[in-house]
Order: sequence, then structure tokens, then C-alpha cells
Amino acid sequence: MANAHTSDTAHDDHHDQPATGIKRWLFATNHKDIGTMYLVFSLIMFFIGGAMAMVIRAELFQPGLQLVQPEFFNQMTTNHALIMIFGAVMPSFVGLANWMIPMQIGAPDMALPRMNNFSFWILPFAFTLLLSTMFVPGGMPAGGWTLYPPLSLQTGDSFPMLIFAIHMMGVSSIMGAINVIVTIMNMRAPGMNLLKMPLFCWSWLITAYLLIAVMPVLAGAVTMLLTDHFFKTSFFNAAGGGDPVMFEHIFWFFGHPEVYIMILPAFGIISEILPTFSRKPLFGATSMIYAIASIAFLSFIVWGHHMFVDGMPLAAQLFYMMSTMLIAVPTGVKVFNWTATMWRGSLSFEPPMLFALAFLFLFSIGGFSGLMLAIVPADFQYNQTYFVVAHFHYVLVPGAIFGIMAGVYYWLPKWTGHMYNMTLAKTHFWLSAIFVNVLFFPQHFLGLAGMPRRIPDYAVQFADWNMVSSIGGFVFGASQILFAWVIVQSIRGGQKATAQVWEGTHPTGLEWTLPSPAPYHSFTTAPHIP
Amino acid sequence: MSAAETEVKHTAMRRRVRNGALGLGCVAIAVYLAFIALLVFRSHH
Repeated sequence: MANAHTSDTAHDDHHDQPATGIKRWLFATNHKDIGTMYLVFSLIMFFIGGAMAMVIRAELFQPGLQLVQPEFFNQMTTNHALIMIFGAVMPSFVGLANWMIPMQIGAPDMALPRMNNFSFWILPFAFTLLLSTMFVPGGMPAGGWTLYPPLSLQTGDSFPMLIFAIHMMGVSSIMGAINVIVTIMNMRAPGMNLLKMPLFCWSWLITAYLLIAVMPVLAGAVTMLLTDHFFKTSFFNAAGGGDPVMFEHIFWFFGHPEVYIMILPAFGIISEILPTFSRKPLFGATSMIYAIASIAFLSFIVWGHHMFVDGMPLAAQLFYMMSTMLIAVPTGVKVFNWTATMWRGSLSFEPPMLFALAFLFLFSIGGFSGLMLAIVPADFQYNQTYFVVAHFHYVLVPGAIFGIMAGVYYWLPKWTGHMYNMTLAKTHFWLSAIFVNVLFFPQHFLGLAGMPRRIPDYAVQFADWNMVSSIGGFVFGASQILFAWVIVQSIRGGQKATAQVWEGTHPTGLEWTLPSPAPYHSFTTAPHIP
Repeated sequence: MSAAETEVKHTAMRRRVRNGALGLGCVAIAVYLAFIALLVFRSHH
């Protein structure tokens, strides 16, 4: 392992210490400061999106209209999705990338620090704009996060605000992705060739290419929605010769790679954690890279599986069904390799490992229900039911979000310099892992029994499992307060963390050669990788 | 605080970083415009 040369000993100019007060954050160009801002922002969005989920589950606790009007319920489902996807999951991965990529490749910072600052500070404006639609006539957008016309074109005064907010989110994501690619391609320490690069950096490199390929597609689609709404174009207006189904094609050409944008960095995090707490090298590391690349490629050719019920030629149905099922192969390689990494390892069960294990089991459940949905005739039955809701929440909550939590619990002592309260963190894990299943597993039953999604009321035969699901939701939601509390405690103080942090596990990676907390400038002199 | 803290010292690397960022940015803008152009073209045929 290379020796770390840190700024503590390396140079003495005025950039050694952070600025004080608000200037430190407003004009931040340091990758750690910007990473922290991304992570704090995404945590706030996680709680705002979570509050909307609580409204949804409270309304669905019993049949009949209980608490909110149907219009407001639709606003909650739409904005819960937009905020969780674009405000919570994506920015938290960008935050982790900002913190960890320079430290893992032996670079002093990201390659484009000013652009880094700009790409973060766009986000609070974008989400303030989106959330402020609550106060305009007609309320928040309510046509679903997929923005299908003609329904989305009936949105009230919030429509242009929504479109502008999505454009800002897209610009932010693209700039973040450019920064990741340019940093990884140009600023790796001498001797670190691409195959020696940690899996988290690899997963982010591939994710960044996906982002650059598909975020402009979403931007193009919503720009055309905007011109249909205000400038009387007819891109998606059948009355003017347009085609609303074309919007679905363009949206899902963005939307399906977007699903992998939200899960590939989590794959990278899990590939870092499992070897550490198994005390073994990652099994088949090179095949893991090829698997991620294969998944990324396949993600571009499967979008039609979201649209089976629109009607399409039999050959197209078969193509999308087969190509979707093909994704199970590289995903299976990954799950096999993770399991083989643990095989005969000396396992220990610290909070990051617990979250990684839960990820492995529960993400697989989401993967299997995805395979079920890939079967065309079965999808005709499942489409627009709670089975789909159960499927994608299994992929995104115990998948993406557990991956983020595993990463935060893994690297938090490296960031703050303090070990966190293990008992509280394990309590958070057990409450989350148990109640995420209470929340989402019954939704499989509801979907198979025919309960449609995006409705505030339902027939009485669905009452029992909805009540169970809501109870799971309330406890899962409340238990996330523990997560925030553990982080705050670790920032404020606690047992000092060593440079290695996880003693006895011998984690690999340049970040563990730095002291804890990591110095303000990581590697002012590049380490040499043998 | 300054962006200079990144310490990209070598001119060749500065050029690679700049060209890489500009190239990827151009790809993103090209994809954006291409999809709109595709639908404009499609709506006329």
C-alpha cells in the first residue's frame, strides 16, 4: 500500500485551511465540503420525500377517503417520486463520489472544482422551485413522475416551474458526471491503472457515462412538453398529428438507464464493504467490472418493457422480454461473486456489513419480481398494480438506499474522525430491515389481487394488507430519525477513529492510508501504487 | 478559497481535463438537440 502524503506536512499556503462561516460553503471548491453539502441536502430531501410517503400510507391505512383530497394524494405520489429520485438518491451518490473518488484514486481534489460548486448549488434552487409549486393555483404537479402527456399537459400553473426544475436537475447531474469522468481519467495516482481502481470508482465511472447519455434525453422530452403546452407544437398531441406514445418511448429511453444510475454506485459500495468484513479479497473483481458494463449496455435496449400494455408488435415484445431477462445474467454474476467473497470468510457484522447483507437478500427479491414483470403476458396482469410498486421499492429502498446507508456507515468515521454509536446504528439497521419488509412485501399480495396503483381509495378486500403496509411504513419512517441522530452524534464527538477505522479487517484502498478525519487536502503529492 | 487548490500543475493535464470536459459537455448538448431534431423531422413525414 502506498504512503499517504497529506497537506498537514506537505505545504503551507493559505489554501490549507477552510474558509470560515457561510463563505466556506457558498464558495466551496473542496471536494469534501461539496460532498458534505450533497449528503446533507440529500438527507433533507429524504425526509421531505419520506413525509410525503407518510401522507400516502396514512391515507391508505383504511379504505375510503380519510385525510386528504384525491387531487392532493396524486400530488403526493408524484412529488414523493421526483424528490426521492432526483433529490435524495442521485445527490447522495454524487456526495459519496465527491468524498471518496479523489481519496480512492490518490488525487488532491476533483478535476473541475468550480463546476463542482455550481453543480451542487443549482440543486437547492431546483427543489425550492419544485416545492414552491405547493403554493401556486392548482397545486403541485400531480400527473405522475413519468409526466405522460396528455395528462401532464393538464397541470396547472406549476407546469413551467416543474419543467424548469427538471432542466436544472439535469444540468446539475450532467456537470457532476463530467467531473467524475474527467477526474477518474486524468487524476489517478501513478501506477493506478484502471483495473487497479476500486470498484466504487468503476461503478461511478460507468454511471457517469449513463448520466451523460440519458439526462439530455429527459431534458429534450420535457422541453417538447413545454413547447406543446405553451407554443402550440404537437410533438405529443394526437389532435395536431403528434404521438403521445412517442413521449413514453423517449421517457423510458431515459427512465430505464436512470434505474441503473440509481443502483450501480450501490453495487460499487457493496463491493467495497463485503470484502472488508469478510476479510477476503473481492471474488472475481474483473468480472464485476464487466458485469457492471454489461448491465449499463443492456439498460439502453430494454425500455419497451415499461410499455407492453401500450400495444406493440409481437417481435418487439419478444425482443424487450428477452433483453430484459438477459440483465439477470450479469446481475447473477455480481450476486454470485458477492456470495463467493463471503464464502469461508471470517465474517463480522458491523453496521455497514449488516446493511450490505440486507442489500444482497432484499435487492435480489426486487430483481426476481423484475424478472416476473419482464414476462409479457404476466406483465399484462401486473401492470399498473401494487405489484409494480412493490418491485421498484424493493430495488430502490433496500437496494439503492440501503447501499447509501451502508456506504455512510462504512466511511463516516473516516469523514468525522469519530466512531459512531454501534448500538444505535444496529438498532437503526434492525428496525429498517424488518419494517421495510412489513412495508413493501404485502404490496406484492395487493398487486397480485388486483389493487391498482396511484389511487387514494380502494375496495375493502385490500384493507388488511394495506393496514399492515402502512404500519410498516410508519415504523420504517420513524426509524430513519435514528440514522440522522447517529450521524449528528458522530460529527459532534465520540471515540477517536484510527486511520484504518475497521481494525482487524484490513480494508484495501487509498482512503484508509489517510488519517481520520481525512485532512482538508487529501493527496497533495500523489502516492505511488506499486 | 480558490479552485487552484486542485493543483492540476501540468499543462498537458490541464489541457486533457479541459478538452475532456468540453467534449463530454458537447456530447450532452448534441444528444439533447438530436432528440428534439429527430421528433421535428418525424412530425414532418
